[in-house]
Amino acid sequence: MASRLFAGREFSSPWFVPALLCLLVLVAFVVWPLAALFHQSIVDPATGSLSLHGFNEFFSSPRYVQAFYNTVKLGVIATLGTLMLGAPLAYVVARYEFPGKSIVALLPLATIVLPDIVVSQAWLMLLGNNGIARRGFELIGIDLPSFYGWFGMTYTLILNDYTYVYIGMLAALKALDGTIEEAAVNLGASSIRRFFTVTLPVLAPAILINAMIVFTLAVDNFSIPMILGGNVDVLSSLTYQTFLSEMGGNPTMQSVLAVVSVLLVGGVLFVQKRIVERKTYQMQQGRAPLAVRAKGLSALLLTGGAVLFVAFSMIPAVTVIIGAFTKARGPVMQYGTFTLDNMDRALRNAPEPILNSLMLASVAAIAGTCFATVASYLIVKKRLTVVTMLDYVVMLPLAISGTVLGIALIHSYNSGMIVLTGTWVIMAAAYFVRKVPFSIRSASASLYSIPDSIEEASINLGVSPVKSFFKVVLPVMKPAILGAAILMWVTSLAEISATIVLYYGGMETMPIQMFRQIDAGYLARASAYGVILMFVIIVPVYLAVRFLKLDLFSSR
Amino acid sequence: MAEILIQDLVKQYGETIIIDHLSLTIQHGEFFTLLGPSGCGKTTLLRMIAGFIIPDKGQLILDGEDITRLPAHKRETGMVFQDYALFPDKTVFDNVAYGLRVRKQSASVINQKVGRILDRVELGHLAKRYPAELSGGQRQRVALARALVIEPRVLLMDEPLSNLDAKLRIQMRNVIRELQQEAKITAIFVTHDQEEALSMSDRIALLRSGRIDQLDTPEGLYARPKTAYAADFIGAANLLDVRSIEAREGQSVVNLGGAHIVVDSATPAGQTKFAARPEHVSLYDEAPSGGTRVPATVLHRRYLGYKATYALKLDDGQTLNADVPSALDPQFSPESRVYLGFSAECRLVQA
Repeated sequence: MASRLFAGREFSSPWFVPALLCLLVLVAFVVWPLAALFHQSIVDPATGSLSLHGFNEFFSSPRYVQAFYNTVKLGVIATLGTLMLGAPLAYVVARYEFPGKSIVALLPLATIVLPDIVVSQAWLMLLGNNGIARRGFELIGIDLPSFYGWFGMTYTLILNDYTYVYIGMLAALKALDGTIEEAAVNLGASSIRRFFTVTLPVLAPAILINAMIVFTLAVDNFSIPMILGGNVDVLSSLTYQTFLSEMGGNPTMQSVLAVVSVLLVGGVLFVQKRIVERKTYQMQQGRAPLAVRAKGLSALLLTGGAVLFVAFSMIPAVTVIIGAFTKARGPVMQYGTFTLDNMDRALRNAPEPILNSLMLASVAAIAGTCFATVASYLIVKKRLTVVTMLDYVVMLPLAISGTVLGIALIHSYNSGMIVLTGTWVIMAAAYFVRKVPFSIRSASASLYSIPDSIEEASINLGVSPVKSFFKVVLPVMKPAILGAAILMWVTSLAEISATIVLYYGGMETMPIQMFRQIDAGYLARASAYGVILMFVIIVPVYLAVRFLKLDLFSSR
Repeated sequence: MAEILIQDLVKQYGETIIIDHLSLTIQHGEFFTLLGPSGCGKTTLLRMIAGFIIPDKGQLILDGEDITRLPAHKRETGMVFQDYALFPDKTVFDNVAYGLRVRKQSASVINQKVGRILDRVELGHLAKRYPAELSGGQRQRVALARALVIEPRVLLMDEPLSNLDAKLRIQMRNVIRELQQEAKITAIFVTHDQEEALSMSDRIALLRSGRIDQLDTPEGLYARPKTAYAADFIGAANLLDVRSIEAREGQSVVNLGGAHIVVDSATPAGQTKFAARPEHVSLYDEAPSGGTRVPATVLHRRYLGYKATYALKLDDGQTLNADVPSALDPQFSPESRVYLGFSAECRLVQA
């Protein structure tokens, strides 16, 4: 069997060794740690024998079961909420022209530029117990419910994630062949009938896929439940708390929690893949229906709505900027005052988190980009058995939340031949693993548009296959690779859920520093780091879009 | 200039045999065409010569050197791809210069050579353009220039004209043929278009399921097809069953529908068919005595400008087509009773 699995050409191919190396990297940083975690969850730590004791405890403890139930509930509410906001917005943007429509182009930007932690903190400053918006509402006689708990979590999650649905649905609407709607009209359907019998069924798979993306994002999210969850436990926050209390103690429960969340996300992703494979309709290359120009009152309403959406997405940025320049006495913000102290403190007295973040993100982005370039090329162009395995393993990180990955890495590398726990290498490795699937996706997309024949043309003209890759393929991939590198860099800067379990004294990152300051109530200091974080994210994104003309959002 | 020897070549994917014990010699400076329908193995054979596919068995010998296992990038062949395969991020000049730079030629030599070949294909003024800014015919000429500029031992062309419109295709046939003659280079051309093959080639190998069905000059292939497959593929001959055949000193007498038709071909062994090209069938409204015309009924007539095509049915139920030049067209209407004359160019072929 083994000889059939790896045919002779497998080893003689010049791409065998690179493919094997890529596979080994992923085995080392994903497969093995995850397998170890699964193993740990079914082993009795006292006796070392197999036992389902941990899962028994999970399902018999009301706290754990409640957290599981809360996670699913949070995911479902966030999914429905984001669909209700994002899908109609995408429909209106795709189908109508109205004054000031170009402002909605800012929405996808918000998903990148505003990390979860900044959004959570900003809404906390506005609607938390001492929030200024809350006090404003109190002045006019409206008492808002407590922001900690379901209100804060669902509100922030929906507002944070609806843009993903918007981007996905907008792409689906633009790919829709307008002639099928014309056919429905031609056959006598009214516009409402047409929408429900023709447009909606064709869009249904896209809606489902985007819903599932939001569901996994909600289950994965760490900062929002940690900062705003109050006493509502979800799997991600509970996994982290179990991790804290169990360090050095019984590791079974954190493994069990981690396994449960991997199975939950993995199950959803599996269903999503099935839908993509089975239900997406092969649509003819058609032209999307032309946008209708709205007039009068409806134009005014649409413009107003668009401005409102963008404003709500930008409020966190504005809030954090104001916070960073506002005097604070401990936790009390003195709004209306101005100071540079917070920024000064972050930049001069405690700049280590900034430097750490930049260093880690750079290492992860450089390593990840090289890896994604080679791996995507192998996956798209080379049919080797080892590449097929690589193709399966490479998307595995998408099913693992950051906290779970962090815990898995810690346990795999805290003893034995290679000890990485407590080094920055393990942090960079976690960023690499978490972000690399996205880079591979966008690099692959660019490769599918490159015909095999241009490589053959180069070989035919006398250049060896490996050299041809560098001389002919790489230059064509360059825009996609650059875009992926920048996205990897900025999303690594914002990473917190893996960092929170992996960082150690002296290796705090900006999001960690924000989280600690928020936890301690120092919102002004947290804001200062937030502003710097947004700045180092915006600059490369701006440069990429402005000067390299990169389309950073096409592959998200 | 190069001679290519193909000896007993075999390639199969799983159970499917793509190239089936094929042997062939292509001579110095020859314009050689591999012709056949899709799936006949012509592109596989070309790609084996280029080195992109390694044969399972057999040998490829280029000027006495065994190149069967030589890596593709060391073969010194110049290939023109069906989709042209221009490097999208490089200008016309850089595309053409690519192979010369690989060969470490000096900048002045490169400038001179690229300039000369671009002028030759009338693209000198577009040297700074990118492939996306060119028309199909211009891209085609860049691809040709890029392959020729390295002065390859063999020029390989994989259906290079199939993405062009009809008029440009005819124009490019001449360009390709002229360039090949000027460079005195051995060229192998793959196509499924019989007209392309006939108009450009010195010799044609008609392929069928990985074997050579007939290897001949264009004239030979058209005028003297040996098989029903060749007669049908080139010129869409009518293939008819005949009642009896009588051999007579290099000629044959065919009994079709009660009439006796004398043709110039010898009778092949085995199962035979009577191959009559539409232009070798004439229509008459009466039959002279002697029994050389075959009675038939007109099914329909299609007017095509310079000629009219008749669909006809013999009394035994066989159908066939006949082409009549417009000037000579008696304009028979459907259901008319006509008598068919077959010229001596009609042939007996292997079924």
